[in-house]
Amino acid sequence: MSDDGEIVVVGAGMAGLVAALRLAEAGRRARILAKGFGATHLSGATIDVLGYTPAPVMSPAGALPAFVAEHPDHPYARVGAGVVEEAVGWLKGHLTDPRYVGDLGRNFLLPTAAGVCKPAAVAPQTMAAGDLRGGGPYAIVGLPGLKDFYPSLVAGNLALATTPAGTAVGARAVEVDLSPGGRVDAGPLGYARRFEDPRFRADFAAALQGRLAADEVLGVPAVLGLAGAEQAWEELEARVERPIFEIPTLPPSVPGLRMFTVLMAAARRAGARVVIGAEVVGVETDGYRVRGVWSGTANGRRFYPTAALVLATGGWAAGGLVMDSHRVVREPVLGLPVTGADDGAARFLPGYLDHHPLATAGIAVDRWLRPVDARGAVLYDNVRVAGATLAGAEPWKEKSGDGISVATGYHAAMSVLTEEG
Amino acid sequence: MQTIETEVLVIGGGATGVGVARDAALRGFATVLVERKDLAEGTTGRYHGLLHSGGRYAVKDPQAARECAAENGVLRRIAADCIEDTGGLFVTTPWDDVEFGDRFLAGCAATGVGVEEIEVGAALVREPALNPDIRRAFLVADASMDAWKLAWACARSAVEHGARVLTYHRVTEVLRNGDAVAGVVTVDVRTGVTLTVRAQVTVNATGAWAGQLAALAGCRPVDVVPGKGIMIAMNHRIVNTVLNRCTMPSDGDIIVPIRTVSVVGTTDSPVTDPDQLEVTQAEVDHMLDEGEKLVPGFRKARALRVWAGARPLFGAKEPGDEKTRDITRAHTLLDHRQRDGLDGFVTITGGKATTFRLMAEETMDLVARMASPGTDRPCRTATLPLPDSEPGAYYAVGSRLAQRERHLLDDQLVCECELVSRRDLTEALDRRPTANIDDIRRALRLGMGPCQGGFCTYRATGILHHQERLDQATANRALLDFLQERWKGLAPILYGDQLRQARLDDWLYQGLLDVEHLPAAAGAP
Ligand SMILES: Cc1cc2nc3c(=O)[nH]c(=O)nc-3n(C[C@H](O)[C@H](O)[C@H](O)COP(=O)(O)OP(=O)(O)OC[C@H]3O[C@@H](n4cnc5c(N)ncnc54)[C@H](O)[C@@H]3O)c2cc1C
Ligand SMILES: Cc1cc2nc3c(=O)[nH]c(=O)nc-3n(C[C@H](O)[C@H](O)[C@H](O)COP(=O)(O)OP(=O)(O)OC[C@H]3O[C@@H](n4cnc5c(N)ncnc54)[C@H](O)[C@@H]3O)c2cc1C
Repeated sequence: MSDDGEIVVVGAGMAGLVAALRLAEAGRRARILAKGFGATHLSGATIDVLGYTPAPVMSPAGALPAFVAEHPDHPYARVGAGVVEEAVGWLKGHLTDPRYVGDLGRNFLLPTAAGVCKPAAVAPQTMAAGDLRGGGPYAIVGLPGLKDFYPSLVAGNLALATTPAGTAVGARAVEVDLSPGGRVDAGPLGYARRFEDPRFRADFAAALQGRLAADEVLGVPAVLGLAGAEQAWEELEARVERPIFEIPTLPPSVPGLRMFTVLMAAARRAGARVVIGAEVVGVETDGYRVRGVWSGTANGRRFYPTAALVLATGGWAAGGLVMDSHRVVREPVLGLPVTGADDGAARFLPGYLDHHPLATAGIAVDRWLRPVDARGAVLYDNVRVAGATLAGAEPWKEKSGDGISVATGYHAAMSVLTEEG
Repeated sequence: MQTIETEVLVIGGGATGVGVARDAALRGFATVLVERKDLAEGTTGRYHGLLHSGGRYAVKDPQAARECAAENGVLRRIAADCIEDTGGLFVTTPWDDVEFGDRFLAGCAATGVGVEEIEVGAALVREPALNPDIRRAFLVADASMDAWKLAWACARSAVEHGARVLTYHRVTEVLRNGDAVAGVVTVDVRTGVTLTVRAQVTVNATGAWAGQLAALAGCRPVDVVPGKGIMIAMNHRIVNTVLNRCTMPSDGDIIVPIRTVSVVGTTDSPVTDPDQLEVTQAEVDHMLDEGEKLVPGFRKARALRVWAGARPLFGAKEPGDEKTRDITRAHTLLDHRQRDGLDGFVTITGGKATTFRLMAEETMDLVARMASPGTDRPCRTATLPLPDSEPGAYYAVGSRLAQRERHLLDDQLVCECELVSRRDLTEALDRRPTANIDDIRRALRLGMGPCQGGFCTYRATGILHHQERLDQATANRALLDFLQERWKGLAPILYGDQLRQARLDDWLYQGLLDVEHLPAAAGAP
């Protein structure tokens, strides 16, 4: 494998972005080929590392060693707790506008749009003041044109919560009758663009004038601007003279888009190339190595030679794993075996919130994230698998989504780099 | 315990029950209807959605064919708003006997079912997805019919004529006065409050539950065997005409385009309990394979949801039943005075949704003779249009979109898949306060499209709670219940894009909103 050979990263979600950025930063030529955008555009944009085991996790760093021991097939067990911490710390250094705060030592407990306080290790600065430990009292602001956020639902559930220290929480809803151009169905992006305008922010602050109690912390839907969000947030805090925190809405996610924009720009600056709209439809191999990939775009097929391949295709939600109507499961890019989806065995249980057997199905890997077969033999020497395509996790339940993607994307890059010396 | 008095009491809020209640109210009887769940939560809300032309029964069951053909015409006049005039095709696929087409034509002619054989090429032009290897094609007056709209329109009409409709009232006891049924005791399943309804005549219109209900009355067993049938809704209008195989009725031989989806079905297997209708993998595969015969590539389409309904199959094992039973084989009207010496009690079961009005008419003819002998109170349901159907305009698949476009700037879209707006939701709730998002689903089709509630479950909960129609705990419960309700119909058909959608919904509800830690979830079963 030549040192200057290009490395193809399939997927532009968190795992692919992290892998490409890390490779490019290390001086390697990295190219992202992605069918489309990943879950960054939908995500709450906190970096969740470990929230429930299923007991609530107060400190991911503290909980990881036991968790990894109990879940030997979990992606965290493959990369090791140390790498998780290192990778998240590295990522935090790249996240600007807004900056991210927190670490694996302690989870924030941040209100969701349903009013549940969800554990997250690292979060945008614009969300941190929502931490339940502060105990509120919260004033949750709703915007009538925004159907993806219900302040009374948030406040009502917050008022039923208690802080970890056991104190009661005060919360109420406040409606601010401002909509972009009078539109009643504006959506998070419509509001975000308006919040970039200082005059709109001034109107917003004015509308709250005299309606808040002195000690109330202000929760707002996460729509405080796409670009320049940190500045918008700081300015608003100054205007309303109290801490403000954002709460992620239903998608499209404004904070997710910010995170994507920042990481994509960093990757490009570091020299990574990015092709969005290029589905990888096949590979050329010589035995145990992938020589290159075929992409299919509107312009036809194109071949990209590659020294190594990082597969970050996002699992079932993104088409990284598929099942046909005969219930045959497949990893479409390399045809890798999918573990945990045994034929004949029950794949789903009756309760929606149950632990469904299919949930942890995915690609099995070794500790270098190379795909392995049922006996543990490596299938391709120069392939690494990262993110939600990996077997062994139930990240939406564990609250470990981006934690896994960041740790494995980072580790995949490091593993490619080390192997190549 | 509160008691109300009435002349006619109807048990069961399916098509038959609401049909009887409307008929009774229009004849001027004081009428009460009790339903243990929501209207059309039984078989009526789980049927295949086909307003039969009669073609399906033209060879096998001429009596049923005749009734369907006649009622098809009647319902097109009185229930136009519930009907989409899709038309229907009977086609001879390579798996079907070409000769059957001749028997089919003869059967239609004998039973008054309108039919026209058309060129295969013309059928393919009309339905390009249809199997190109079909050998014959026949055009009939099949249509699709919205069961929920129908049930609610009947109920509204009944109420406008003085009837009371009590949903979520389960009959727990049938009251006897010697040799007569005197009414029932119900319990409000949401509040636990009991209510006694005293009536001159009690009509058992509980469909597949008719046997259970008759047992409460203490008469001779009414032998109703629930026959389970499953249906799968596929994303999109794969076809715009009802497709039937031109053969003896069998499994999976019909595809019905309903609203935004196409529904394939169905099966028929006897079960013991109509409340326990499990869908098996084998049944799902069977439907998909059969769908493939009518529309090649069917398996590649996206399956949205599967459900099952229970046909009430009347066994007539008891000697003497043949005599007391109504002449038609299509449905069964039992006069328990004749049959069991039990006065004031009538059972109507079996039949089709298509013939619900006729069943109601025959039932009320009997009840009228019992309740007010000697007076003439004729049936008016064959000519009087249902509410919203007065203009006589059929539902058209684009009508919601047209309506939406008029309100793009002044109304919010709450459910993008089914084009349900915030105003629709608010109006539906004003008409009918409910704590249950599933009730709203049936009223508005909220959450029934491709994303299966992915976005609108949260929004509907938020709006209901915001408008103070639900308190906090109930709102949380409603959200979780609706997710569970959606899951029930998803789990057996999760593959392809719908599996992908379900995973996205996992991320939304668990990964993003963390609903499994909602305060109500703690005490959840
Ligand atoms: C609604 C939602 C909210 C979330 N909220 C949070 C949160 O608050 N905190 C958190 O930590 N995590 C959250 N997550 C999880 C997280 O965002 C990601 O889902 C997770 O990190 C997986 O990322 P990924 O990079 O593996 O996959 P994805 O982000 O899904 O990216 C997969 C990529 O692969 C591409 N792809 C797939 N197949 C091919 C192919 N054949 N050829 C080319 N490209 C292909 C896709 O187009 C896409 O670019 C959330 C997820 C969702 C959906
Ligand atoms: C799979 C399948 C597909 C079908 N497809 C078609 C079709 O395409 N076209 C067509 O015309 N017909 C079709 N049918 C037939 C049609 O759906 C039924 O004949 C019709 O809906 C029956 O209506 P019903 O009111 O008699 O019964 P139901 O709709 O079942 O109503 C009975 C009601 O009684 C209630 N009830 C039960 N016990 C109690 C109690 N103790 N107290 C209070 N209430 C009680 C139930 O909750 C229920 O709502 C189909 C049937 C099945 C099973």
